[in-house]
Amino acid sequence: MRRAIEAHDLHKRYGDVHAVRGVDLTVAPGEVLCLLGPNGAGKTTLVELLEGHRLPSAGSVSLLGRDPARGERALRDRVGVVLQGTFLQDELTVVELLEMHARWYDRPRPPDELLELVELDAARDARARDLSGGQRRRLDLALGLAGRPDVLFLDEPTTGFDPHARRQAWRTIQALRGEGLTVLLTTHMLDEAQALADRVAVLAHGEIVAEGPPELLGGRHERPAEIRFALPDGLGPADVPTPPGATLVRDGDGVLVTAPDGVAAAHRLTGWALERDVPLAGFRVAQPTLEDVYLSLTEAHA
Amino acid sequence: MSTRDLALAGWQVRYTQRSFWRNRRAAFFSLFFPLLFLVVFGTLLGDVRLDSRGGLRLIDFYVPGIVTYAIVLIGFNATAMQLAALRENGILKRIRMTPLPTWAYVAGTVGSTLLVMAASVAIMLAVGVLAFGAHLRLSTLPGLLVTLLLGGACLTTLGIAASRVVGKPESGMGILMVVTLPLIFVSDVWFPLDDAPGWLSAIAGAFPLEPLASGLGVAFDPSTTGVGMSGGDLAVLAAWTVVGCALMTRTLRAVTRRD
Repeated sequence: MRRAIEAHDLHKRYGDVHAVRGVDLTVAPGEVLCLLGPNGAGKTTLVELLEGHRLPSAGSVSLLGRDPARGERALRDRVGVVLQGTFLQDELTVVELLEMHARWYDRPRPPDELLELVELDAARDARARDLSGGQRRRLDLALGLAGRPDVLFLDEPTTGFDPHARRQAWRTIQALRGEGLTVLLTTHMLDEAQALADRVAVLAHGEIVAEGPPELLGGRHERPAEIRFALPDGLGPADVPTPPGATLVRDGDGVLVTAPDGVAAAHRLTGWALERDVPLAGFRVAQPTLEDVYLSLTEAHA
Repeated sequence: MSTRDLALAGWQVRYTQRSFWRNRRAAFFSLFFPLLFLVVFGTLLGDVRLDSRGGLRLIDFYVPGIVTYAIVLIGFNATAMQLAALRENGILKRIRMTPLPTWAYVAGTVGSTLLVMAASVAIMLAVGVLAFGAHLRLSTLPGLLVTLLLGGACLTTLGIAASRVVGKPESGMGILMVVTLPLIFVSDVWFPLDDAPGWLSAIAGAFPLEPLASGLGVAFDPSTTGVGMSGGDLAVLAAWTVVGCALMTRTLRAVTRRD
């Protein structure tokens, strides 16, 4: 199979609201695609269409080569969905809930393996109702993985996590990717997209406005680099050579150089400084962050 | 509906039971609250005789009445609340994403509630007979069992149907009480309503509670001959069970529908 998830010209309307407007999307087997977008952009609706939880108004969805809306059991058996969860049987322990879910699948992952995977061994005999928020989210993830899925839908997996817990969740997802799992991840957190995604798709007003690897998104690598540094007393911006193609301006007490080729510009500036023995305090080169690109993309479509 | 699915539904009943009994407060409310009424009424008034009913002992009136109350509380109210919670808390959505058939999960929930109902009824019958000498005898046991089964099925199917009109679980109990509490009061469940106006009795008799209490009462009445079945009461219960099944099917369809 060439595509794990494939959507073609997908639309969803609710009365007058056109929530998803002609989305084309493909995710290759083993790929991690991150869906980014502000609240109200249609992320949830799009994901629910791909999961088969909602029916499209127009267009087509294929999940592992099948139509997810038909709710075929063989398909459900190979797809994991991590929902922010409540459990009806919240007096059951973590390991009991994992056992219960494992029974539903043809080729379940043993509860002990799941506990290890999400690093929840310490809470294995705790009742679901007594778990902390972060532990609950990890249990949600473990339940989504109980059937050893080929495709995993992951909705904001680390919301409310402390930094340590986030790194731990990322390790889990990266380990699973190593096993060939396809992941469709939605998140608000750009560093999460940067850390986990092979590809990012930015959704705004129901349309995909940009798509690509995080480091190339929105022509990010082509955007000019920004070089900042401070000059010693007695020197001003006019004393500094302007690298070819760059612009050089005063920036507070220091200097800001904006250059299409950051490497060449930095080389020129540091070469000059070493030659004259000028200290360039706080010298740093920065590409626009994923966040800068994301904000400019979603604001342009606001 | 394969054997495997039935086995899965069975496992769901087991897991739901395990979770239920660990929640002491819910267990207390379902089991001991009706039992408390039985013990208080039985102790205070159990031996009083009702002249209007041929000298029937009050305990033989209370046991069927409070068993009816328990069946309403668990079969109707608790079932409706639980299914509303499944829907409102996104649990059904979660289940739909898994290979477990939704019906197997719902069956686990309803099956578990039926077991709680059976336990509650069994405890009350045992306490009524053993502690207060309620007049239960072998000859009317078949009638008692048939009435219990039909009444349990009737109120549970209606409870499943009613889950549809229960919105948020927090406000649901109030809505259900508005339906069940007045009916309990007019249905000859709590106290003998021998002087009630005819129209009130007619209304009460058209709903399932009065026929259930009355049908169960037949089995406890020492003047009953035969197997303890009351044809008229069973007919009303059967009619409501048919209605309950029809409404339940519609509710379950709505629950599994996608938009």
